[in-house]
Amino acid sequence: MSILNLKGILTPLTALKQMGKQPHTINFPYEEKEISKRYRGFHYNDLEACIGCANCATICMNEAIDMVALSEIEGQPGDSGLRPQIDYGRCCYCALCVDVCPSGSLNMTQDFIKVSNDPYDFLMVPGKDNPDAKEKLSFTADLDTSLNVFDRVPMRELDPEERVKSFAEVFLGYNEEEARIEASRCISCGLCTENCPVHMHIPEYINAIANADDEAAIKIIYDNNDLPEMCGKVCTRRCEDVCALQVRGEAVAIRWLKGYATSRAENAEVIKEIVNPEIREPNQYKVGIIGAGPGGLTAAYYLSLRGYNVTVYEAHKDPGGMIMYGIPKYRLPYDSIQKQVDYMKKVGVKIHFNTVVGKDISFDEIYNNSDAVFMAVGLQDAWNLGIEGDDAEGVWSAIKFLGKINAGETVDIGKKVVVVGGGDVSIDCSRVSRRLGADVFQSYRRRIQDMPADLEEIEGAEAEGVHFMPQTIPTRVIKDENGKVKGLEYVKAEMISEGGGRPRPKPIEGSETVIECDAVIAAIGQKADYSLLPEHILAKLEMQKNKIVVDENRQTSIPKLFAGGDAVTVGRNDAISAIADGFIATKAIDKMLMGK
Amino acid sequence: MNKLENIIYKIKDTFHLEAKQKNENQLRVDVDKNLVSSVLLYLKTQLGFMHLNHISCVDWIEDNQFELIYIVWNPESKITVLVHTRIDRANPVMENIDAIWDQANTYEREIREMFGIEFPGLVGAKEFILEDWQEMPPMRKDFDTAAYAEKTYQKRPGRENARDVREELMKRTGEELPDFAKKYSRD
Repeated sequence: MSILNLKGILTPLTALKQMGKQPHTINFPYEEKEISKRYRGFHYNDLEACIGCANCATICMNEAIDMVALSEIEGQPGDSGLRPQIDYGRCCYCALCVDVCPSGSLNMTQDFIKVSNDPYDFLMVPGKDNPDAKEKLSFTADLDTSLNVFDRVPMRELDPEERVKSFAEVFLGYNEEEARIEASRCISCGLCTENCPVHMHIPEYINAIANADDEAAIKIIYDNNDLPEMCGKVCTRRCEDVCALQVRGEAVAIRWLKGYATSRAENAEVIKEIVNPEIREPNQYKVGIIGAGPGGLTAAYYLSLRGYNVTVYEAHKDPGGMIMYGIPKYRLPYDSIQKQVDYMKKVGVKIHFNTVVGKDISFDEIYNNSDAVFMAVGLQDAWNLGIEGDDAEGVWSAIKFLGKINAGETVDIGKKVVVVGGGDVSIDCSRVSRRLGADVFQSYRRRIQDMPADLEEIEGAEAEGVHFMPQTIPTRVIKDENGKVKGLEYVKAEMISEGGGRPRPKPIEGSETVIECDAVIAAIGQKADYSLLPEHILAKLEMQKNKIVVDENRQTSIPKLFAGGDAVTVGRNDAISAIADGFIATKAIDKMLMGK
Repeated sequence: MNKLENIIYKIKDTFHLEAKQKNENQLRVDVDKNLVSSVLLYLKTQLGFMHLNHISCVDWIEDNQFELIYIVWNPESKITVLVHTRIDRANPVMENIDAIWDQANTYEREIREMFGIEFPGLVGAKEFILEDWQEMPPMRKDFDTAAYAEKTYQKRPGRENARDVREELMKRTGEELPDFAKKYSRD
């Protein structure tokens, strides 16, 4: 090595070029490096927000996710009660489960270090086994990035100006393309089935529609609902309240999809061909059914399929009960009900119309000639307003008013009408009155948001020009010299919250106002009329607040007598609850008679 | 004429191809598979796109095609060009471009393994991530990942207590699902 070789002396000096630069040293105390914001480490599941729909477990390509029951989570409507458990030996951290989580409860975290000798430790319930990870969320799926489709296909409807001119159907129904798209949004979790009183097979028929198999959809629908076309138009659709997609978006339009599927069978003949129900051999038992409303028709249909000799007694000239005489035709056309009842007749249901039980035929005769009786008579009497002057000419009850209109009679309500009430029936009255050309004002004791009516109906009424008068309490009907309605006096109310319940309206003193009108329609609820029942039955029949007490099988305190529909103590006052009553009673009657 | 318009103009002038602007510093150009190496070479040598960022692949199974996307970058102008091409899915062979960029080899080996596209003359073609792989290339859309996982991996002990949501709900409600409806239940 020559001393002239300067390389060994100069090379170390090249280090000088690093002068003034940030040193690459580890700081003391140790500072952890920041982990990327969208890093995909272990999952974190917000156990409260999770609804247990199992969409994560379904999408997982590695079958890493199971749904398990946790002791601290109780199932309830809208929540299966199960929670995901993840096998981290299989998880590949692709985060597809996060992308499809409808509630947004499942997220990835920045946590990715876990050391353990026990292989069981890698089977984790996110959220339960790593509660601290909540602070380190990384990859999440917000509404923009989620793979769920949160917006429903809008339903086409008539213009409000067109609507008030006639009783033409307001909603036009989905066409084929719209139905397929809407049905494809469904994640098939089945949470909806729990909230449906009948527990219809909702995910299955929606899936059939999505797969362009409308006939299968119809067959599945008719398995436990004999009036699905009606439900497809006017159901109170509690199923949609618990849809997994409504947690962060719009529920699947279950009602409209059912309406679409059933509309594909254009007449009773086609329905029978498609449904092709299994009809059992006739047996020796007779069942009498009082009332051809949704409850009575359902029991009649399913008992007929099970081989019973079923006879229905109906006081009116047309079938359907409240769905025929209570629901306006712009929501449910006459032909639609007829089509469904025609189909039932084809499978052997016998209906005696214009037969008033207690007058044309005695209850005892039906009771003694039948092995079981199902009674679904509904609420045929209205509550009066209970204020001074409510006997004036021009004061209507909703049930009488709608009944006359639906029976095709002409009704004179004048130019200006006040409807009293806040339920679906009151909205029906308002919208019918608009169609009769009247100026309509609707008085309700509470606020608009407190109305029990369907929001869609309230909006429809508003668009058609119904004037809402929330927080008003009618106090007196003003009559003219001939005893006709001249006006309605009301007081304004303020909402006060007492205790925990919903706010109560309290009249404001001195706020009396008079609104001039030609008619007042009271839609404030109905009560049952039991005049058809003889004394000895009434003496034995257990009642509670004007309603018949039934057990979970819809059996009354008289073993042979079953009851359902609006006039019993279980379920809500809607058509689908009546259908459920009929269906449940069918099973109970079948069990009682066949088990003998 | 700004930088992007200039590139669009030059590509059109040379190859009669319409490049489209994707955003303020990205261009997309759709190219016939036979022209890909020419376009890439031109971009590299004439327009300063020295860096091959990535080669990506998409399986368009319904169209019976694979799409290859070559992403190149110009470090000076900070502009990215995406060169798209479609090839036949039934006969997936694509020209090897490792003569233009050495590092293309890595991407091509990955695409060969994951999608089964052959690149003639590929160095070390069979050496990559998957060992003893007997199945269809796993990134193809018709590869059934769930079935493969089921066949290949055992279930960890402790997973027996898994429950089905639909069955759980039916137990709670008493819903009876007829057999003809079951084919439309969720798997």
